[in-house]
Amino acid sequence: MQGKPSKLGRLSIQLGLGIFGFWTLAPIAWLVVSSLMQQQALTATPPDFSPSAFTFQNYVEVMNSAAALGRGLANSLIVAVSTTAVALAVGAPAAYALARFQLPGSGPILLMILATQMFPGIVVAIPMFIVMSHLGLIDSRLGLVIVYLSFNLPIVIWILHGFFLAIPVGLERAAAVDGATTLQIFRLIVLPISWPPIFATAIFAFIESWNEFFFALILTRQNAQTVPLVISQFAGQYQTVFGQMMAAATMAVTPVVVIAIIFRQSIMKGFTEGMIKS
Amino acid sequence: MAGITLQQRRRRFGVGALLPAVVIILAILAYPMAASLWLSLHHVELAGGAVAESFIGLANYAALLDDDSFRLAVSNSAYFSVCEVALVVGLGLGVALLLNHPLGRSGFFRVLLIIPWAIAPVANAVLWKWILNSNYGILNAILTELGLIDNYVTWLGTPGRALNMLLLVDVWKSIPFIALLLLAGLQKIPAMLYRAAWLDGANAWQQFRFITLPSLRTTLAIAIILQTLWSFKLFDLVYVLTRGGPADGTVLLNYLAYRQTFNFLHIGSGAAVANVVFFISLILAIAYIRMLRPGGRKVPA
Repeated sequence: MQGKPSKLGRLSIQLGLGIFGFWTLAPIAWLVVSSLMQQQALTATPPDFSPSAFTFQNYVEVMNSAAALGRGLANSLIVAVSTTAVALAVGAPAAYALARFQLPGSGPILLMILATQMFPGIVVAIPMFIVMSHLGLIDSRLGLVIVYLSFNLPIVIWILHGFFLAIPVGLERAAAVDGATTLQIFRLIVLPISWPPIFATAIFAFIESWNEFFFALILTRQNAQTVPLVISQFAGQYQTVFGQMMAAATMAVTPVVVIAIIFRQSIMKGFTEGMIKS
Repeated sequence: MAGITLQQRRRRFGVGALLPAVVIILAILAYPMAASLWLSLHHVELAGGAVAESFIGLANYAALLDDDSFRLAVSNSAYFSVCEVALVVGLGLGVALLLNHPLGRSGFFRVLLIIPWAIAPVANAVLWKWILNSNYGILNAILTELGLIDNYVTWLGTPGRALNMLLLVDVWKSIPFIALLLLAGLQKIPAMLYRAAWLDGANAWQQFRFITLPSLRTTLAIAIILQTLWSFKLFDLVYVLTRGGPADGTVLLNYLAYRQTFNFLHIGSGAAVANVVFFISLILAIAYIRMLRPGGRKVPA
C-alpha cells in the first residue's frame, strides 16, 4: 500500500509481523525443544529449562524401541516416491494433451479432475476398502500407491496443465514445420523446458503422499504402515513419554519440512497460481 | 498452419497421452463413488466376512434425520466450518497484507508460511495434544506464569472447549496456504492504482476498501470456497486429538461417517453420512469451478 510512512503505521506493521512470527514459530519451536528435554524437566511445574535438562536421549530411545518408526519411514519413502513417479509419468503427457490439443471432452475431463480434489476421502473409503480386500491389497504398499494415485494424479495434471498452457506455442509450431513428430516435440522441446514446474509438482505430490493419514489408517495394518500412522499410534501408546513423542514427530516432519523450505518458491508459485487461475 | 493429417496425428497423440490418466482416475474413483451411493441405499450386514445387502431405498437417509448423533455432527460441523473459514480467511488476509508490505517482504516470513503447511497433519495433532495437555502442557504453564489463569485448564475436557481447541489448531495449520493464495492475488494488483489513490488523498483504509478488496474479490471467493471444502475434509486432527469426544462434542460429519462405518460397522448408514458430505461438497465444488471460469475456456491450438 502507498502512503506517507507514518511512525505509527510502521510500528503496527512491525507489531503484526511480530505476532505472526511468534504465533507460527512458537508451536514448532516447542516441538523441537521439548523433543530435546528429559521427562522430569517436562513434567516439572513450571518446566525446567536449565541446561542439564537437555538431552538427545529421546531420539536414541525412539530409534531403539520403536522399530515401527524405521519401518514407517521406509514405507512412507517408498510409497511417496512410487506415487510421485507414476503420477508424473502418466500425468505429464495427459496435462500436455489437455493444454495443447483440442480433444473432444477435454473440458469435462478437466472438470472431473478438479472435482476429485474436492471430496473427503470417506466418500470413497468404504467401497475402496471392500475392493482392496478382494484384491488382497490391504496392508500392502501397492494398495496405498494405487489409492494415492487417485488424488495425486489429478493434482499433477491440474498444476502441469496450467504450466503447459503458459508455454508459448511458437517453438512447437516451428518444430512441427521442420517435420518433428508430436512425440519428438513433447520429448525434445516441451519436457526440457518444463523441468522446473515438473519438479515443483513432484515435490508437491511427494509431500501430499508422505503426510496422508486417512487411507493409511483404513488400508494398512502393520507391514505397510506409513509414518503418520506410526506417529498416531506412538502418541496413543506412549502418550505420557512426551519427549519421545515429540522426537518421533520431529523425525517424521523434518524431511518434508526441509524439502518444502528449500523448494518453497516453486511450490508456492505452482500451487497457489494453479488454484486461482483456470 | 497445420494440415489435416498433422492435426489428426496430433489428436491421436493427444488421445494416447490422455487416455491412461483418465482410465486410472475413473478406475480408482468412479467405481467407489458409485458404489458408495449404492451402499447408502442398502441395509448392509457383515456376517463372517461376507457382505449381505438388502435394498431399503432412502431409509438410511431418513434414519439420519432422527439420529441425535447425526444432528449433533451437523451442528458441530456447521459451527466448525463457519468459524474456521471466517478465521482462516480473515487472518490469512491479514497475514497476506503484512507480507505484502515492504517491511514484511523478507524471505524469513515466507519460510514461516511454508512450515505449518508442510508439517504432517498427524504430527501437528500430536504436537498440539502435548501443548494442550492439562497437567504438563506448555499452554497451561505459560498462562499460569503470566497470571492469566489460576488453575490448569483441561483444554480438551468439555465438549464446547474441545471443539474450539480443534478450531484453534486447524486455523493455525490452515492460515499459511490461504495467506499464500491471497498474497498471490495481492501481488497482481497494479501499484499504479495505489499511487493514483494516494495522489487523490485516499488514506490507507480507503485504499484497502476501494482498491484492495474489490481487486481481491474473486481470489477471496475462491479462498472461502476452497477452505470450506477443506474444512469438511478434516479428519486427522479429530482422530488424534479427541476421537470425537468428549460426549461427541467434536464429532464432525466426516468423522461420524468414519465411525459409523469402521467402528460400528453400520456400513449403509455410514455411506449415507458420507454421501451427505459428498453432496454438500459437490455444490461448493460447482461454485468453485464456476468462479474459476466465468466465460468459458479457451485452448490454444
